[in-house]
Order: sequence, then structure tokens, then C-alpha cells
Amino acid sequence: MSQEADRWGIAHVYASFNNTLITVTDQTGAETIAKSSGGSVVNQNRDEASPYAAMQMAEGVAEQVQAAGLSGLHVRVRGPGGNEQQNPGPGAQATIRALARAGIEIGRIEDVTPIPHDGTRAPKSAGF
Amino acid sequence: MQHVRIPQDRLGVLIGEGGETMREIEREAEVRLDIDSETGSVGVESVGDPITALKGPDIVRAIGRGFSPDAALTLLEDDMTMFDLIDIDAATRNDKDMRRKKGRLIGEDGRTRELMEELSGASVVIYGSTLGAIGGPQEVEAVRGATEMLLEGAPHGAAYSFLERKHNEMKSQGMEYHRFPGSRSQPEPEPEIEVESESRSRSRSGSG
Repeated sequence: MSQEADRWGIAHVYASFNNTLITVTDQTGAETIAKSSGGSVVNQNRDEASPYAAMQMAEGVAEQVQAAGLSGLHVRVRGPGGNEQQNPGPGAQATIRALARAGIEIGRIEDVTPIPHDGTRAPKSAGF
Repeated sequence: MQHVRIPQDRLGVLIGEGGETMREIEREAEVRLDIDSETGSVGVESVGDPITALKGPDIVRAIGRGFSPDAALTLLEDDMTMFDLIDIDAATRNDKDMRRKKGRLIGEDGRTRELMEELSGASVVIYGSTLGAIGGPQEVEAVRGATEMLLEGAPHGAAYSFLERKHNEMKSQGMEYHRFPGSRSQPEPEPEIEVESESRSRSRSGSG
């Protein structure tokens, strides 16, 4: 019972500029408790990465997490990384805020964007 | 702990008179700033609520990219306000091209930049080789769209009508779209921001 009181999980948030994926797992990362992505809450493809979509997703995920009996979540945010965008997209902050507001305790927030230790050559930049 | 690099000539603004601005940021965003005035590297460490502190690096970055501390602190006003940085350098070939494109973005007597602020509702600052925008997600997106158009060589008229269209879109359908996510847990932070940013841009246009 005492273990039941403070079970934590990990929320993996992958926020790119085209989509946001939220996956809540147990602490080992082996067992998925809840997951959601932009396409499950909006109809237009271009809205998938929007903070609004992220908030709605986070609310849905929060319900499932509470139903599963987790009291808090550690957060691992990640952007595309590698040779692409290094910082998380617009959905990341919105997700964390919405989770906190839905009454889930937020533990450590970690940035796990993959950083190349000099990998392959980056494509010529076309964006701004 | 996150590190943000800002230019030497913005360090003074970040610190403020007698460290005033720095302390204000530390208090408002619940972070601790570790400023290295030799290199311009600023360490941002969360001391209070980790969720408030998420915006800390963005505030420092915004000041580093030419925003006034007051404008940068508006990032904390609302959950949804965000900071977007557009690198003009990536779209230019050489120094001369950079001057020309910056000129196009700023406009005659700053008219283009002012119009961008007025129609989108975001605050826009062009500094060095970047254009920064602080505002709601849709506002920032409008600024980004217009900027990319201008950088690609679109005539100003086209960019203005693009902004005008976005402006009308935000006015008509923006409201109910805004209210939706927050409506259950917190009554109405979103609509208020809408009004506030409007009056902000209006007062600016009045003085200018």
C-alpha cells in the first residue's frame, strides 16, 4: 500500500515543428501507460504541433495517468535533434503546463534531445 | 541548469541598474541567473517552481536579441505567450544582402515592423541578424509568415495583406479556439490576453 502512494512515471514528450507526441511510461520506460499525439485531437495536419493541441492531449493523458494511479511524472522533453532542430517545438511547454494544471505533480524536467557528437554532415540549411 | 549566450552589449540591459533587472527576472521567473560578463554566457537555474522556470531561458534570450526587459517579461503573463526567433542570416548571401533584407523587414521609418506588431499583436524586434517576436502562438505564426514572405522577396503589399488576413482570422475565430483548452481548469486567462495585446499595439501606434 505504501508503495501505491507515490508511484511515479515518466512522460516522454517529443515536440517537433510538425507534431507533438506524448508517451507516459513507468519509471523503467518499458511499460506504456498512456500515449497521445497531435492527430488524435485536431483535424488539420498543420495544427498537430500547436500548443492548443498539446494542451488537449495533455489533459487526456492526465486523466489516464490518474486512472492508472500515478501521483507524479518526470518529464523528458525532446526536439527532433540530430541534424535537425535542436530545441523542442511549441508543444513542449504547453504539455508540461497542462499536465501540471491537471493536478499531476511534475518532478524533474530533462531535455533529452539527441545531440550529435559529430555525426553525419548536416544538410544545407534551407529554413530560417 | 541551462546556458544562454547573449551579446556583450545586451549584458548591461540584462543586469540593469545595480542589478535591478536581473533581480526582477530572478523573482518573477523563479530562477537564478549566473552571468559571466567575460563571455556573455548566462546560466539559468530553476530555484522555485520548475514550470515557471521553463520560460527563464527564453526571457534571457529575448533580452539578448534586443527586447526590452519589460517586453521580455510579458512572456510570463500567459501560459501561451511564446518567443520566436527568425534568423535573417540564413536567408542572406552576404553583408550587402543582409542590409537590404533587414531594411525590407524594418521598412521606411520602421513602418513595416510597426505594421507587423499592430496587425499581429505580437511585439517584434529586429536586432543584429535576427528578428524576434513575442506573442501568442497565432500572433507569432503570423509574424513568421510575413517575415518569410519578405525575405523571399515578396512585395510589401503582399505581406501586408497576408497580415491583414491573419488579423481578421484571429479576431473572428480566434476567440472560441482560444477559450477551449483552458476553459475547464482555469476560467478565462486567454480572452484577457487577447484584449491586452490589442491595447498594447494600439497604444504603441498612438504614440508613434
